[in-house]
Amino acid sequence: MAYQRKQKKGESPKLDMTPMIDVVFQLLIFFVVTLKQEDILSKLDAARPAPNTDERVKDKPQELINIIVAPQGFIFNGRPMRIQELDRSIERLSGYSKTAMVIIKCTSDSAHAFLIQALDVCYKHGMTNLSIFSM
Amino acid sequence: MAKEYAQCEIDMTPMIDVVFQLIIFFVVTMQMNQDSNQDIVLEDGKNGIILTADSMPPTTLEIEVDRRGRVSIHNATLTERNLRDILRARINKHGNEFPVLIRADRRTMHEKVRKVMDICTSSGLWKLSFVAVEEHKKQDSK
Repeated sequence: MAYQRKQKKGESPKLDMTPMIDVVFQLLIFFVVTLKQEDILSKLDAARPAPNTDERVKDKPQELINIIVAPQGFIFNGRPMRIQELDRSIERLSGYSKTAMVIIKCTSDSAHAFLIQALDVCYKHGMTNLSIFSM
Repeated sequence: MAKEYAQCEIDMTPMIDVVFQLIIFFVVTMQMNQDSNQDIVLEDGKNGIILTADSMPPTTLEIEVDRRGRVSIHNATLTERNLRDILRARINKHGNEFPVLIRADRRTMHEKVRKVMDICTSSGLWKLSFVAVEEHKKQDSK
């Protein structure tokens, strides 16, 4: 017996959308649940002194700002201070010159967070001529 | 006059369109491979230069230093010698102008970061950048 098509000629076949919608919703829920927002990151540039830096400094004397990063906090002009005080001091100095060279001396046992805080404060007040020394 | 028991059919096409758009959005924004060390907690740096995919050239090298001082690139642990070799190979290929990002944990001691900085300096890379957090978005971070 010959196979007879049940569909009439002029009629378009109707596709059952339900399983597709189910799958698509499953996928959507999966992606919504697994979505994790990433932190917005920033970078703080600093230079490590080149081997001949000392000579260059001697040739061309320029203003130097020394910040020492210690395990307990910061030492600026021989005075231990917290980040808020350092912020005010750098703000004052940045009023005179923004191109002054800032030398950040880090002690080996200080936390990396303090170095980042010191760099961040310098960036805040537009001091971008930064060098890091390790002690 | 409308029939009493006429079935009303909802047109699903616009909904399916929107749902597909959403799926494509999530697929594109999803990061399947976490190729950086997720245990590193970064310090806040709200005044730094914002890092975007556009501001980072493809030659950027990101060196991770975790809390205990483990040095890694793309979460693959490196010894000092490995790092030196990688830097030397990169300098041979791209010159010593490529950006180096140091992604160090806020709790790590400076001496661990110093080691990485010393290796970079001795390889001829003097311009280094530190990664900080401009804005927190993750729920689990501080």
